[in-house]
Amino acid sequence: MLKFGRRILLIYRKDLQDELRSTDHLLSTLVFGTMLVFVFSFALELADVGTEQIFPAVLWVSIFFMSVLALQRSFAKEREYGALDALLLASGERSVLFYAKFLFSLTVLLLLELVVVPLLWIFLDVGVGSASLWFFLAAVLAGSWGLAAVGTLLNGITVQLPGARLLFPILAFPLLIPLLMGAILCTQGALSGQVQAVLGWFYLLLVFDLLFTVLPLLLFDYILEG
Amino acid sequence: MKDALKSPFFWGFTLLMLLALSVIVYYAPVERTMGLVQKVFYFHVASAWVGLVAHTVVFAASILYLWKRSGGSDRLARASAEIGTVFISCTLLTGPLWAYPIWNTWWTWDPRLTTTLVLWFMYAAYIALHGGGASEARKRLAAVYGIICFINVPLVFFSTRWWRSIHPVVISSEGIALTPKMRVAMFVSVGVFSVLYFYLLRLRMKSLELQERVRHLKAQLLA
Repeated sequence: MLKFGRRILLIYRKDLQDELRSTDHLLSTLVFGTMLVFVFSFALELADVGTEQIFPAVLWVSIFFMSVLALQRSFAKEREYGALDALLLASGERSVLFYAKFLFSLTVLLLLELVVVPLLWIFLDVGVGSASLWFFLAAVLAGSWGLAAVGTLLNGITVQLPGARLLFPILAFPLLIPLLMGAILCTQGALSGQVQAVLGWFYLLLVFDLLFTVLPLLLFDYILEG
Repeated sequence: MKDALKSPFFWGFTLLMLLALSVIVYYAPVERTMGLVQKVFYFHVASAWVGLVAHTVVFAASILYLWKRSGGSDRLARASAEIGTVFISCTLLTGPLWAYPIWNTWWTWDPRLTTTLVLWFMYAAYIALHGGGASEARKRLAAVYGIICFINVPLVFFSTRWWRSIHPVVISSEGIALTPKMRVAMFVSVGVFSVLYFYLLRLRMKSLELQERVRHLKAQLLA
């Protein structure tokens, strides 16, 4: 049997290759994300709202909505082609499968954000004067990490139930409330350049990420059973 | 319903509820500054208490289900989640009734309020996921989700508390900030609501068991 890390990497590479070869899902998610940015920015402009203050909230709500589409892919293909059992046999421990799918989800989410975040930044015309760019990137990464972890965990649940696509956001959003708070407050701190004041919230994000990265070690066996 | 009228539990419980109501209405004094509206407190706290107990039971029963795979623990978790959600709804409805005259707003993002609302959403999601336990997979997956939810609750509470808090703290490590008569009324109310929880739990578990038996019999007939 191959080593734990090696098995994770193999499955991760397979998924990423597969996703990049048939880009239709990735592209439609991207179009959905950019459309969200457009709709939000335009609506805020119409309502004449101060965009700089509202940027962190709009950013994370957009990422949340986009992740509903982006994070429901991890087990979808195996399900469609009935390959889940074979993959379970090949991967050994269930947690191998979780970490591979988690890395895949995180990669997809970051790829999408690479386009959507700068776009929102431009549309809302947020100044970069006192912003701490490094902290901003760290906040986006930490937030996406937690989103991908919770998303992969719950996708393992919803993929087993017929017609449960709608269930995914209902299950995910209440769990993600601490992450939403941390991510928005950190983004706010990064924009105003007051990193010290929100450092506690960054630690909260890290605790959340850690919790939902370790918890699947215990629980994923029960999710993907039989 | 006919059976319920014949049961001594039903009549015993009705008496208890009347007792609690009269303690709340006649025995507990009217609060000096808040007036009559403060009496909603006895319902508010008692239903919040039952909500928390119910959700702890969901957590314990979910672990038990994953471990033993017994139908009883699944029914316990499901019934408790339903009853807990009803009581949490009562908490969320009675709160604003008091808050509007006292805080001058129906809702505020205080840690207790936010956590209670998130709790409500999580257990509504739990019930949707469980879906009556139509398959073994649903029971198992709902149990996993029930465990995750319980672990998430303190995280939600402490992060919102860190952010801001204006909710009155009546019971703290320094004691209970109530006059003796009010304290009696609160404990009576909490006690009677707890009895109500167990009474409903028993009824609901029974009905879930019957549902499962009907489903089983139908499958046998069709086979």
